[in-house]
Amino acid sequence: MAVDPPSNVSHIRERLCDYLQSQTQRRWSLGKFTRYAVGFSWITYGFSAREEGEQRERGLILRIGPPYGLFAPYSALPQHSALKALEGTSVPVPRSYWWSDDSSILGAPFFVSERVEGAAPVPWVNGTGLKFEETYRQGLGRQFVSALAGLHTCDWQGKPGLDIDDVTVENAALRQVEAWEANAKRWALKPYPMLAWGLRWLRCNLPTAPRVSVVHGDYRIGNFLERDGQITAILDWELVHLGDPHEDLGWAFLPQYMGGSGLVCRLLTKEEFVSQYERDAGFRVDPVSMRFYTVFSLVKLATTHIAAVRCFEDGRFNDMRMPAMGTQIAPVLRQISKMLPMEEAA
Amino acid sequence: MNNSFQRMFEGMAATLRNEVIPQVSDEFARGQAFGVIYMLNSVALRSNWSPEFVGEQIAAQVALSESLGPLLANTDAPDSPQAAAVVLGTQALEAVRDANEARICALIDWHGKAKLDAALSVAIERHLRAYMDRQLKWELKTSAKPMFAEMSDGSE
Repeated sequence: MAVDPPSNVSHIRERLCDYLQSQTQRRWSLGKFTRYAVGFSWITYGFSAREEGEQRERGLILRIGPPYGLFAPYSALPQHSALKALEGTSVPVPRSYWWSDDSSILGAPFFVSERVEGAAPVPWVNGTGLKFEETYRQGLGRQFVSALAGLHTCDWQGKPGLDIDDVTVENAALRQVEAWEANAKRWALKPYPMLAWGLRWLRCNLPTAPRVSVVHGDYRIGNFLERDGQITAILDWELVHLGDPHEDLGWAFLPQYMGGSGLVCRLLTKEEFVSQYERDAGFRVDPVSMRFYTVFSLVKLATTHIAAVRCFEDGRFNDMRMPAMGTQIAPVLRQISKMLPMEEAA
Repeated sequence: MNNSFQRMFEGMAATLRNEVIPQVSDEFARGQAFGVIYMLNSVALRSNWSPEFVGEQIAAQVALSESLGPLLANTDAPDSPQAAAVVLGTQALEAVRDANEARICALIDWHGKAKLDAALSVAIERHLRAYMDRQLKWELKTSAKPMFAEMSDGSE
């Protein structure tokens, strides 16, 4: 059976070597590639690399967006642009070095970034892993909020690759609702009435954004690295876009990321989170927008689960996490139902 | 369940063969894993999702249709869900269920746009919401306890 190019390590190593040489006009030697079992979408490899004339090897990350991935077709430009825009800001991000959407190079769009040291705490825990040590928890929590506020207040205007969408405070919510409604239509193997109800409610309750910000799109525990109590990098920027900053809050606040702790992303109470965020970001969190973006996040989560079902059903992956995600569609739709009491629909 | 029965079994066997067995060093354990693959393949040839599960979903759809009937009588509402023939197999029942879900989605869309008397609108909404809650509760009742923590860190 033919191995697809993004999964073929020897093919990637050879082509990436040529690509790096063409970008730097110097030879490169690449070490062992390790494929990380993270995410359902972009393929992530870690590898060491030495540039001709350099004594030290450096750790790099290659992320490839395969044509069969959850959100394909991909472009590496938004991620590269966001990482570039955030370099040197208060938001800890890996430096992005090279990117291309030219599939003739590695078989799919890709970018190469710095490999940052650290481990990723995850939302799904049981037994003894349930609670963080108190000082550690509060420290991480403060950094988690501070990085989000830094992201939402960063100056994106005029930055290459970001300032391309005509997003305004008036249309930010509608843009996202339309995008995820289209995703649901594209991926669903069957109709979901509660999802239709949720989308209808969203369309009738669109808020105006307080500002147009860079929105991460998947800001939560599991998508940052920490080392010795310090967040070393915010990861997984594939859903980055311009929009309402409440969107990231709604997503981070989902019960799915509380790991049974009752805390936002197992880190802070909602009150602690909002209080610090408002101080750091310099604007008030609107409860009406928060409600909208909580429902939106549930619609988005249900749709992501629907996409996983589709990817598995089509045989693109045999990853058993995908049908398992499918079993979570009903619980998420039930959450939407509880968020929208009867006789409230428009 | 959202994935098809056959694909689920195919995927489970492929995962064991490609992801698990190559990492198992013990010969007996590998043999047992191949035994599981064989049995998965055997079960897949003779089984399908439970017709009782889909039957209850269609029963809920028919109940909705009956309760909405009088309310929609003098409106321009799209078609309501329809009953299935009792002799259908699971796959045919699933097709009926999905067609009915599409009708219900069309009703939701219509209800959101139609200029209805307020009391009528609320009554229709109440039936739609009760229906959706019934279906979701049934799905939750027939779902296993999630194991995402175990799937995340590979230990129990």
